[in-house]
Amino acid sequence: MSKQLRFSYKDKDYCLEFTRRTVEQMERNGFVASDIKDKPMLTLPALFAGAFLANHRFVKADLINEIYDHMTEKTELIGKLAEMYNEPIMTLVEEPDEKAEGNVSWTASW
Amino acid sequence: MVRTPLSELRGSEQENDASPPLSYSEQFHKVFPMYLAMGMTYEQFWDGDSILAVDYRKADEIRNDKLNQQLWLQGMYIYEALCDVAPILRAFPKKGTKPHKYPAEPYAISQKERKQKSEQKEKLVAEKGKAMLDAMIRKQKNPQPIKEEKEVKEYADNR
Repeated sequence: MSKQLRFSYKDKDYCLEFTRRTVEQMERNGFVASDIKDKPMLTLPALFAGAFLANHRFVKADLINEIYDHMTEKTELIGKLAEMYNEPIMTLVEEPDEKAEGNVSWTASW
Repeated sequence: MVRTPLSELRGSEQENDASPPLSYSEQFHKVFPMYLAMGMTYEQFWDGDSILAVDYRKADEIRNDKLNQQLWLQGMYIYEALCDVAPILRAFPKKGTKPHKYPAEPYAISQKERKQKSEQKEKLVAEKGKAMLDAMIRKQKNPQPIKEEKEVKEYADNR
Protein backbone atom coordinates (compact mmCIF):
# COMPACT_ATOMS: atom_id res chain seq x y z
CA MET A 1 0.00 0.00 0.00
CA SER A 2 1.28 3.41 -0.91
CA LYS A 3 2.12 6.08 1.67
CA GLN A 4 -0.93 8.01 2.81
CA LEU A 5 -1.58 10.90 5.15
CA ARG A 6 -4.85 10.66 7.05
CA PHE A 7 -6.62 13.23 9.20
CA SER A 8 -10.06 14.54 10.05
CA TYR A 9 -11.19 18.11 9.66
CA LYS A 10 -14.66 19.31 10.61
CA ASP A 11 -15.98 15.75 10.93
CA LYS A 12 -14.74 14.77 7.49
CA ASP A 13 -12.01 12.20 6.97
CA TYR A 14 -9.27 12.93 4.48
CA CYS A 15 -6.75 10.58 2.96
CA LEU A 16 -3.98 12.32 1.08
CA GLU A 17 -1.76 10.49 -1.37
CA PHE A 18 -0.05 10.88 -4.71
CA THR A 19 -0.47 8.77 -7.80
CA ARG A 20 1.60 9.01 -10.97
CA ARG A 21 -1.26 10.86 -12.62
CA THR A 22 -1.53 13.50 -9.88
CA VAL A 23 2.24 13.99 -9.89
CA GLU A 24 2.11 14.48 -13.65
CA GLN A 25 -0.79 16.88 -13.27
CA MET A 26 1.09 18.93 -10.68
CA GLU A 27 4.12 19.17 -12.93
CA ARG A 28 1.91 20.28 -15.78
CA ASN A 29 0.67 23.05 -13.50
CA GLY A 30 4.23 24.21 -12.87
CA PHE A 31 5.24 22.29 -9.79
CA VAL A 32 8.95 21.47 -9.71
CA ALA A 33 10.11 18.70 -7.36
CA SER A 34 13.55 20.20 -6.76
CA ASP A 35 11.90 23.29 -5.23
CA ILE A 36 10.99 21.17 -2.20
CA LYS A 37 14.65 21.28 -1.26
CA ASP A 38 15.41 24.85 -2.34
CA LYS A 39 12.32 26.69 -1.06
CA PRO A 40 10.40 24.28 1.14
CA MET A 41 8.07 26.73 2.86
CA LEU A 42 6.90 28.15 -0.48
CA THR A 43 6.43 24.74 -2.02
CA LEU A 44 4.65 23.13 0.90
CA PRO A 45 1.17 24.63 0.25
CA ALA A 46 1.29 23.53 -3.40
CA LEU A 47 2.48 20.09 -2.38
CA PHE A 48 -0.24 19.88 0.25
CA ALA A 49 -2.90 20.92 -2.27
CA GLY A 50 -1.57 18.41 -4.81
CA ALA A 51 -1.99 15.59 -2.33
CA PHE A 52 -5.76 16.19 -2.43
CA LEU A 53 -5.97 15.45 -6.16
CA ALA A 54 -5.95 11.67 -5.85
CA ASN A 55 -8.85 11.19 -3.43
CA HIS A 56 -10.43 14.62 -2.93
CA ARG A 57 -10.23 16.20 -6.35
CA PHE A 58 -13.18 18.53 -5.88
CA VAL A 59 -12.23 20.08 -2.57
CA LYS A 60 -12.00 23.84 -3.08
CA ALA A 61 -8.71 25.66 -2.78
CA ASP A 62 -10.06 27.85 0.03
CA LEU A 63 -10.85 24.82 2.16
CA ILE A 64 -7.46 23.28 1.42
CA ASN A 65 -5.76 26.50 2.52
CA GLU A 66 -7.90 26.55 5.63
CA ILE A 67 -6.95 22.98 6.47
CA TYR A 68 -3.32 23.76 5.75
CA ASP A 69 -3.38 26.68 8.15
CA HIS A 70 -4.67 24.39 10.87
CA MET A 71 -2.09 21.69 10.27
CA THR A 72 0.41 21.34 13.09
CA GLU A 73 4.08 20.29 12.90
CA LYS A 74 4.60 21.71 9.46
CA THR A 75 8.32 20.86 9.35
CA GLU A 76 7.53 17.21 9.75
CA LEU A 77 4.63 17.55 7.36
CA ILE A 78 6.85 18.69 4.51
CA GLY A 79 9.14 15.71 5.01
CA LYS A 80 6.23 13.32 4.89
CA LEU A 81 4.65 15.01 1.88
CA ALA A 82 7.97 14.97 0.04
CA GLU A 83 8.32 11.26 0.79
CA MET A 84 4.81 10.66 -0.48
CA TYR A 85 5.48 12.72 -3.59
CA ASN A 86 8.63 10.76 -4.35
CA GLU A 87 7.03 7.38 -3.87
CA PRO A 88 5.51 7.01 -7.37
CA ILE A 89 8.96 7.45 -8.89
CA MET A 90 10.91 5.54 -6.26
CA THR A 91 8.77 2.43 -6.75
CA LEU A 92 9.99 2.36 -10.35
CA VAL A 93 13.60 2.16 -9.23
CA GLU A 94 15.18 -1.22 -8.69
CA GLU A 95 16.47 -1.68 -5.14
CA PRO A 96 19.96 -3.18 -5.23
CA ASP A 97 20.52 -6.33 -3.21
CA GLU A 98 21.74 -5.31 0.25
CA LYS A 99 23.99 -8.33 0.62
CA ALA A 100 25.52 -8.16 -2.83
CA GLU A 101 29.19 -7.34 -2.90
CA GLY A 102 30.04 -3.72 -3.55
CA ASN A 103 26.67 -2.32 -2.47
CA VAL A 104 26.76 0.34 0.21
CA SER A 105 24.71 0.15 3.38
CA TRP A 106 24.32 3.35 5.37
CA THR A 107 23.00 4.74 8.66
CA ALA A 108 21.68 8.18 9.64
CA SER A 109 22.55 9.91 12.89
CA TRP A 110 19.10 11.36 13.63
CA MET B 1 14.65 -9.14 -15.49
CA VAL B 2 13.76 -5.63 -16.56
CA ARG B 3 15.64 -3.10 -14.50
CA THR B 4 15.20 0.62 -14.14
CA PRO B 5 18.36 1.99 -12.61
CA LEU B 6 18.19 5.50 -11.22
CA SER B 7 20.86 6.64 -13.68
CA GLU B 8 18.58 5.61 -16.52
CA LEU B 9 15.65 7.49 -15.04
CA ARG B 10 17.78 10.59 -14.73
CA GLY B 11 17.93 10.89 -18.50
CA SER B 12 20.61 10.95 -21.12
CA GLU B 13 23.36 12.46 -19.02
CA GLN B 14 26.06 10.72 -20.97
CA GLU B 15 24.70 11.74 -24.32
CA ASN B 16 24.38 15.39 -23.47
CA ASP B 17 25.63 16.72 -20.18
CA ALA B 18 23.84 20.04 -20.64
CA SER B 19 20.40 18.44 -20.91
CA PRO B 20 18.26 18.90 -17.81
CA PRO B 21 17.29 15.81 -15.84
CA LEU B 22 13.99 14.26 -16.82
CA SER B 23 10.93 15.46 -14.96
CA TYR B 24 8.90 12.90 -13.03
CA SER B 25 6.26 12.91 -15.77
CA GLU B 26 8.83 12.23 -18.46
CA GLN B 27 10.27 9.42 -16.38
CA PHE B 28 6.81 7.92 -15.92
CA HIS B 29 6.16 8.05 -19.66
CA LYS B 30 9.57 6.57 -20.36
CA VAL B 31 8.98 3.43 -18.30
CA PHE B 32 5.23 3.15 -18.90
CA PRO B 33 5.51 0.84 -21.98
CA MET B 34 7.72 -1.51 -20.00
CA TYR B 35 5.07 -1.87 -17.30
CA LEU B 36 2.35 -2.29 -19.94
CA ALA B 37 4.42 -5.16 -21.34
CA MET B 38 4.51 -6.69 -17.86
CA GLY B 39 0.71 -6.73 -17.85
CA MET B 40 -0.01 -3.62 -15.80
CA THR B 41 -3.08 -1.74 -16.98
CA TYR B 42 -3.24 1.97 -17.78
CA GLU B 43 -5.37 2.64 -14.68
CA GLN B 44 -3.11 0.62 -12.41
CA PHE B 45 -0.04 2.50 -13.54
CA TRP B 46 -1.42 6.03 -13.49
CA ASP B 47 -4.16 5.96 -10.85
CA GLY B 48 -3.46 2.86 -8.81
CA ASP B 49 -1.31 2.20 -5.79
CA SER B 50 2.25 3.09 -6.78
CA ILE B 51 3.63 0.08 -4.85
CA LEU B 52 1.91 -2.13 -7.42
CA ALA B 53 4.81 -1.46 -9.80
CA VAL B 54 7.17 -3.29 -7.43
CA ASP B 55 4.85 -6.31 -7.34
CA TYR B 56 4.59 -6.35 -11.12
CA ARG B 57 8.37 -6.31 -11.41
CA LYS B 58 8.67 -9.24 -8.99
CA ALA B 59 5.92 -11.13 -10.84
CA ASP B 60 7.72 -10.49 -14.10
CA GLU B 61 10.92 -11.89 -12.61
CA ILE B 62 9.07 -15.04 -11.53
CA ARG B 63 7.47 -15.33 -14.97
CA ASN B 64 10.86 -15.05 -16.65
CA ASP B 65 12.35 -17.69 -14.35
CA LYS B 66 9.46 -19.99 -15.13
CA LEU B 67 9.82 -19.43 -18.86
CA ASN B 68 13.54 -20.09 -18.61
CA GLN B 69 12.85 -23.35 -16.80
CA GLN B 70 10.27 -24.38 -19.42
CA LEU B 71 12.68 -23.69 -22.23
CA TRP B 72 15.40 -25.62 -20.44
CA LEU B 73 13.04 -28.56 -19.98
CA GLN B 74 12.07 -28.44 -23.63
CA GLY B 75 15.76 -28.51 -24.49
CA MET B 76 16.16 -31.58 -22.29
CA TYR B 77 13.35 -33.41 -24.09
CA ILE B 78 14.79 -32.52 -27.48
CA TYR B 79 18.24 -33.64 -26.33
CA GLU B 80 16.88 -36.92 -25.04
CA ALA B 81 14.89 -37.51 -28.24
CA LEU B 82 18.04 -36.93 -30.29
CA CYS B 83 20.02 -39.32 -28.08
CA ASP B 84 17.26 -41.91 -28.46
CA VAL B 85 17.30 -41.85 -32.24
CA ALA B 86 21.07 -41.43 -32.43
CA PRO B 87 21.78 -45.18 -32.98
CA ILE B 88 19.82 -45.23 -36.27
CA LEU B 89 21.23 -41.93 -37.41
CA ARG B 90 24.68 -43.41 -37.90
CA ALA B 91 25.87 -43.70 -41.46
CA PHE B 92 26.25 -47.47 -41.41
CA PRO B 93 24.31 -48.88 -38.47
CA LYS B 94 24.43 -52.56 -37.64
CA LYS B 95 21.58 -54.62 -38.98
CA GLY B 96 18.62 -54.60 -36.65
CA THR B 97 19.65 -51.40 -34.86
CA LYS B 98 16.64 -49.75 -33.31
CA PRO B 99 16.19 -46.36 -31.68
CA HIS B 100 16.00 -46.27 -27.90
CA LYS B 101 12.55 -45.97 -26.45
CA TYR B 102 11.48 -42.41 -25.70
CA PRO B 103 10.34 -42.05 -22.06
CA ALA B 104 6.71 -43.06 -21.67
CA GLU B 105 6.07 -40.33 -19.14
CA PRO B 106 7.19 -36.73 -18.77
CA TYR B 107 9.88 -35.95 -16.19
CA ALA B 108 8.74 -35.64 -12.63
CA ILE B 109 9.23 -32.00 -11.84
CA SER B 110 7.37 -31.27 -8.64
CA GLN B 111 8.25 -32.79 -5.27
CA LYS B 112 4.93 -34.62 -5.24
CA GLU B 113 5.49 -36.13 -8.66
CA ARG B 114 9.02 -37.19 -7.74
CA LYS B 115 7.74 -38.85 -4.58
CA GLN B 116 4.97 -40.62 -6.49
CA LYS B 117 7.40 -41.86 -9.11
CA SER B 118 9.87 -43.16 -6.53
CA GLU B 119 7.04 -44.91 -4.66
CA GLN B 120 5.86 -46.47 -7.90
CA LYS B 121 9.36 -47.69 -8.63
CA GLU B 122 9.74 -49.17 -5.14
CA LYS B 123 6.39 -50.89 -5.48
CA LEU B 124 7.40 -52.40 -8.81
CA VAL B 125 10.67 -53.70 -7.40
CA ALA B 126 8.87 -55.20 -4.39
CA GLU B 127 6.30 -56.89 -6.63
CA LYS B 128 9.00 -58.33 -8.83
CA GLY B 129 10.85 -59.67 -5.78
CA LYS B 130 7.67 -61.20 -4.42
CA ALA B 131 6.92 -62.84 -7.76
CA MET B 132 10.39 -64.36 -7.86
CA LEU B 133 10.00 -65.61 -4.33
CA ASP B 134 6.61 -67.14 -5.17
CA ALA B 135 8.11 -68.92 -8.14
CA MET B 136 10.94 -70.30 -6.02
CA ILE B 137 8.51 -71.60 -3.41
CA ARG B 138 6.39 -73.18 -6.10
CA LYS B 139 9.45 -74.81 -7.51
CA GLN B 140 10.41 -76.27 -4.12
CA LYS B 141 6.90 -77.53 -3.45
CA ASN B 142 6.47 -78.94 -6.89
CA PRO B 143 9.87 -79.91 -8.19
CA GLN B 144 8.88 -80.30 -11.81
CA PRO B 145 11.32 -79.34 -14.42
CA ILE B 146 10.24 -75.83 -15.22
CA LYS B 147 11.66 -73.49 -17.76
CA GLU B 148 13.59 -71.86 -14.96
CA GLU B 149 14.34 -68.23 -15.26
CA LYS B 150 12.27 -67.57 -18.32
CA GLU B 151 9.09 -68.66 -16.58
CA VAL B 152 9.96 -66.76 -13.43
CA LYS B 153 10.53 -63.65 -15.49
CA GLU B 154 7.28 -64.08 -17.39
CA TYR B 155 5.43 -64.62 -14.17
CA ALA B 156 7.01 -61.53 -12.64
CA ASP B 157 6.27 -59.45 -15.70
CA ASN B 158 2.66 -60.55 -15.71
CA ARG B 159 2.33 -59.45 -12.13
